[in-house]
Amino acid sequence: MDFFGVIRDSLPELFYGAKLTLYYSLATIILATVVGLIFALCKLSHNKALRKIGEGYVHIFRGLPLIVEIFYVYFALPMILPLHRWFDPYFTPVAGTIALMLNEGAYITEIIRAGILSIQRGQTEAALSIGMSSAQTMRYIILPQAFKRMIPPLVNQFIQTIKDTSLLSVISINELTRQGQIVISTTFSSLQIWTAVAAIYLAIILSLTAVSGYLERKFQIAKR
Amino acid sequence: MILARNVSKAFGDNVVLRDISLEVKEGEVVVVIGASGSGKTTFIRLINGLETLTSGEITVNGTAITQNKTTLRLIRKEVGMVFQHFNLFHHLNTLQNIAIGPIKVLGLKKEAAHRRAYELLDRVGLRDKAAAYPDELSGGQQQRVAIARALAMNPLVMLFDEPTSALDPEMVGEVLAAMKDLAKSKMTMVVVTHEMGFAREVGDRVVFMDGGLVVEQGPPSEIFNNPREKRTQDFLSKIL
Repeated sequence: MDFFGVIRDSLPELFYGAKLTLYYSLATIILATVVGLIFALCKLSHNKALRKIGEGYVHIFRGLPLIVEIFYVYFALPMILPLHRWFDPYFTPVAGTIALMLNEGAYITEIIRAGILSIQRGQTEAALSIGMSSAQTMRYIILPQAFKRMIPPLVNQFIQTIKDTSLLSVISINELTRQGQIVISTTFSSLQIWTAVAAIYLAIILSLTAVSGYLERKFQIAKR
Repeated sequence: MILARNVSKAFGDNVVLRDISLEVKEGEVVVVIGASGSGKTTFIRLINGLETLTSGEITVNGTAITQNKTTLRLIRKEVGMVFQHFNLFHHLNTLQNIAIGPIKVLGLKKEAAHRRAYELLDRVGLRDKAAAYPDELSGGQQQRVAIARALAMNPLVMLFDEPTSALDPEMVGEVLAAMKDLAKSKMTMVVVTHEMGFAREVGDRVVFMDGGLVVEQGPPSEIFNNPREKRTQDFLSKIL
């Protein structure tokens, strides 16, 4: 069979994998951003206990290989918590998403914290001086300004997240990488299939880059 | 309106204010002068709770300043503050900078808040800059917007922390003019400044601070023409 013929024949399988890759990426990006925001606010809190919780979270989940975290949630945790029964029959996708969320969330915590800290103290003082509460100050004054500065490192992390979903193949989630492996196991066309898989990943990631370029331009209009 | 009794403030071992007592009456314009490090900025930051007291008491319109969040917010609604570095919200345009306090803190409708913002922009002569963002404005314009932002809360007292110190010389006049206009409307004001012309012309009372103490206070004519204290004389001879 010719080079492109093999790819063409396996496209349905590969696109199915790409679809799952997109789903897991999107779910992880949204959940990890929420988790990151919560723990960033914990780390910046005046409350010492909250600060310690935030620090502990980042230390642990940034400090372990992602693949260990995936195995831990999937194989080890069910030994002490019957997660597999609670989430049956969706335990595999849930475990994969939780592991990714916790790992990416730790990095995003630090990105959001750095963004918030980069806004000058004077902005907070001005907001407090017109009677805003700390929560209003964060919501209406600090976060909107910090978010703009967070876009480049966040996009970095989102790209990393998309690539990290390939590790879900180790718990038999049929995302793009695993679909590629499955196709190769019957066609033996490593060169063609890995080339196709690589091209699809690149297409996904380059589209995200384009979106982020648009976002940065859009927020540029609103100045600093 | 403002009553400070035996106020002391230390940052760690560094004592910045030593047992200061001062009263500001309704409608009075008090100008605080003194060298850098004399504690004057710390003093007015205490009045709206941006710094915490080490000892003593400050009351604003009868309410004592505490660390209680509700009390602090109540006082800050009544006390407007203008900063040396303007501190306009960079992501909001002029109109939004002025309207956000009334909308989020006083609960005004957007239309009402914008109407008030336009009135205040007329007052500081910047209606045509309503849609401009802070970094499209000159320093003097930014500071006038900052004054309008503080006034939008209908404060009982306005605090000015060296409002012209970060400005290019040619822009000082427009900001001082806006402040003079405010003084004429009988606003209670506490102004920390190095502008002695303003102190002399607009101040009802001048307070000279040095080393964390109020060394001398009185009507501008007295302080500038016949300072009694040696330290006041030294300071004035250096800057006048």
